[in-house]
Amino acid sequence: MQLALEKVSKLYGGRLQALREFQLELKPGVLGLLGPNGAGKSTLMRILATITRPSAGRVLWNGTDTAREPDALRKVLGYLPQDFGVYPHLSALEFLEYLAAVKGLEQRGARRRITELLELVNLADVAKRPLGGFSGGMRQRVGIAQALLNDPQLLIVDEPTAGLDPEERVRFRNLLSELAGERIVILSTHIVSDVEAVATSIALIAHGRLVAHGAPEALLTAVEGRVWEVLVPSAALNELRRQHLVSNAAHRSDGVHARVVAEKAPPGTLKPLEPSLEDAYLAMLATHRGTAEARA
Amino acid sequence: MSGQAIWAIARADFLERTRRYGFFVTLLFAVFLGYQTAVGHLFMQLDSYRGVYTSGWIGALMAMVITLFVSLSGFYIVKSGVQRDRETGVGAILAATPLSRPAYALGKWLSNFAVLAAIVAVLALAALVMQFVAAEDTHVNLWALLSPFLLVALPAMALTAAAALCFEILPGLRGGIGNVVWFFVWTFALSLPVAKENSPLDPLGMITVMRALTAEAKKYIPGYKGGIAFQIDVGHHAQVAQDFRWAGIAWTWESALGRLAWIAVAAILVAAVSQLFDRFDGAQAGRARRAPAAPAPPALNSPARGLPAIPAAHAMKLAEVAPGSSFPAFAQMVVAELRLALKGYGWWWYAVALGLLIAQIASPLSATGVVLGVAWVWPVLVWSGLGTREKTRGTQQVVFSCPEILARQFPAAWIAGILVALLCGAGAGVKLALAGDLHGLSGWLAGAIFVPSLALFLGVWSGTSKFFEGLYMALWYVGPMHHTPRIDFTGSASGANAVRYALLYFALSAALFVMAWLRRRVQINGLR
Repeated sequence: MQLALEKVSKLYGGRLQALREFQLELKPGVLGLLGPNGAGKSTLMRILATITRPSAGRVLWNGTDTAREPDALRKVLGYLPQDFGVYPHLSALEFLEYLAAVKGLEQRGARRRITELLELVNLADVAKRPLGGFSGGMRQRVGIAQALLNDPQLLIVDEPTAGLDPEERVRFRNLLSELAGERIVILSTHIVSDVEAVATSIALIAHGRLVAHGAPEALLTAVEGRVWEVLVPSAALNELRRQHLVSNAAHRSDGVHARVVAEKAPPGTLKPLEPSLEDAYLAMLATHRGTAEARA
Repeated sequence: MSGQAIWAIARADFLERTRRYGFFVTLLFAVFLGYQTAVGHLFMQLDSYRGVYTSGWIGALMAMVITLFVSLSGFYIVKSGVQRDRETGVGAILAATPLSRPAYALGKWLSNFAVLAAIVAVLALAALVMQFVAAEDTHVNLWALLSPFLLVALPAMALTAAAALCFEILPGLRGGIGNVVWFFVWTFALSLPVAKENSPLDPLGMITVMRALTAEAKKYIPGYKGGIAFQIDVGHHAQVAQDFRWAGIAWTWESALGRLAWIAVAAILVAAVSQLFDRFDGAQAGRARRAPAAPAPPALNSPARGLPAIPAAHAMKLAEVAPGSSFPAFAQMVVAELRLALKGYGWWWYAVALGLLIAQIASPLSATGVVLGVAWVWPVLVWSGLGTREKTRGTQQVVFSCPEILARQFPAAWIAGILVALLCGAGAGVKLALAGDLHGLSGWLAGAIFVPSLALFLGVWSGTSKFFEGLYMALWYVGPMHHTPRIDFTGSASGANAVRYALLYFALSAALFVMAWLRRRVQINGLR
């Protein structure tokens, strides 16, 4: 099982470059796709889900070009888009039955699986209620269930935890971790802690380019020994932010305790800190931005 | 109510519309209408005559074209401003501002009016071109040419713009039901002043034009007693009454102000109806049920003891699924589409459908066409969802990323639409079969396939259900209800040509389905 992106680019209206020569190869596991707003994450997800065609380059699913033969991938694809709708007059059960038919699943097996999926996403009690009355979080859980209907080999989830309460978020993370063994899961999100919890590899995307790709440990190693806890007076915080990358700050009785990513310990450093994925993410984005500006 | 706020709403809405592809199509529609009039496919006839194409005649003719066509179709073109604000979420932002209901409604109405005025402007230009192309009278009298646009067409457009907005504001008329109701409202608005010729109620301006024209025509057309026929025809032309060189409507201050007053009426109507606007509060206003008393919450500072772990989801225990074999899977898909199409209607909907089914069987064979026509207007909202449901409900990404959509889901939706037509018209079908009327039966079958094909085609290409709802009602009114041969898609008006027209409708249905399929293929391949 392999998904490969070969120099994938996407141009909108002939001008706006959403993706630039994106190159990536994936094997079973959870890929956390991180990037700022407008980085090209959703475009990439749509291309991988065969909704949008790349302007250049190829996406290969087990060697088959998905633009030429999209059904080869669609048969084994589970996709949860960032924004999706439901048919408000159908119940959750009926909606999933409808999508099972659209996916061409054998009816009896599909029914059993739908019942289990509704249990899994905690909607069994409201399975027969019209979707029109569901909250955003409940609809999101219906979306998760539909993505798992066909036991997908490739599961693409775009901002899946948006709208979920903390408990449901943890349940969903657990679910993703369990699913990852035999399939490729691509998780796009802004929430670094979601990625931190489940991803076996991380891809960082900015300005439509792949900035970094590797295991979480490798990304953390890149900022090893570069994260500091710095104590500054409140009035000096803005100056510190101008000079260094501040990933977090907390006001205490003795001043502001700032979490700073820097090559050398800044003045006022209390102690070195264990780097987090958020530190690594912010540091890499800052480096990329600096390189892009220098290039411009 | 601030004028600045009204202007801001109107301007933003108008700019948003004019930057959409749909506005370009709207202008093309205006050019098409202008062209059809200029080449003589749309014309006014007094008995079997028409006047010389003077500025006055052409101006009045174009004003009538606008009154008859744009007042109906314009409603469907502009009825989207409030809906767009609901869908994009802009409405929620506006609702949180001090913007008043009348200010919002008047701004939207002005934008609707501006779009329709753009169509009027295109037709005014076409009128000028027409006078030079026809060259029957090259003397251009600008006032005679343009005054019908200003004083007949624009007030009618103001009313159409107001109606579209009021329908969007009133809860029961927002959706497809409103689109169907508008057809009947429009028919009523047209027929009321014509039936009572001296009625002061002439919102669309038809009587104004008719009175001015017929009074003058009696002097030049021998034996002419009054009345105007507005003709849509190909290959049929009225004789030109060479002496009748009409100078146009002789406007008085009183008559001009009387027409312009309709713009004020439209504005007042909008301001009044705006009081019923829900300000994007989609919540049901029903009585809240009393919830059972909740246990007292634990204090925030109480120690967390014995908290249960969040249960883990065991995905690996899920039942295995396999792809279904091709025919049962397709049949299952058809059933799923049928269920989706018919979902959401109350028992009364099915009761009326059943009543119409019984009426088809109980009525004499000669009346089958009309009864079938009525039975086939009942599921109009079921068909109007074909091809648009994925877009309007936002399920495109989920559905289009499934395998073999073009081979299974798309034809299944079409077949489900045909099944609805067959079921709702089954009484007439059985009756024709029992009577051994195979010609009638072929027409019935062709109609049952044609209607969903038209719905699918218009739905997929326009992305909205309202064009089918509007066009189908017009076709239904002219065809089955008036027994117009060729246009009566039930086949009951085709007489000896029933099989010929049935074959024509079969071919047309196939062409519509293929064109819809091709468009959907483009949509699915992400080549938009």
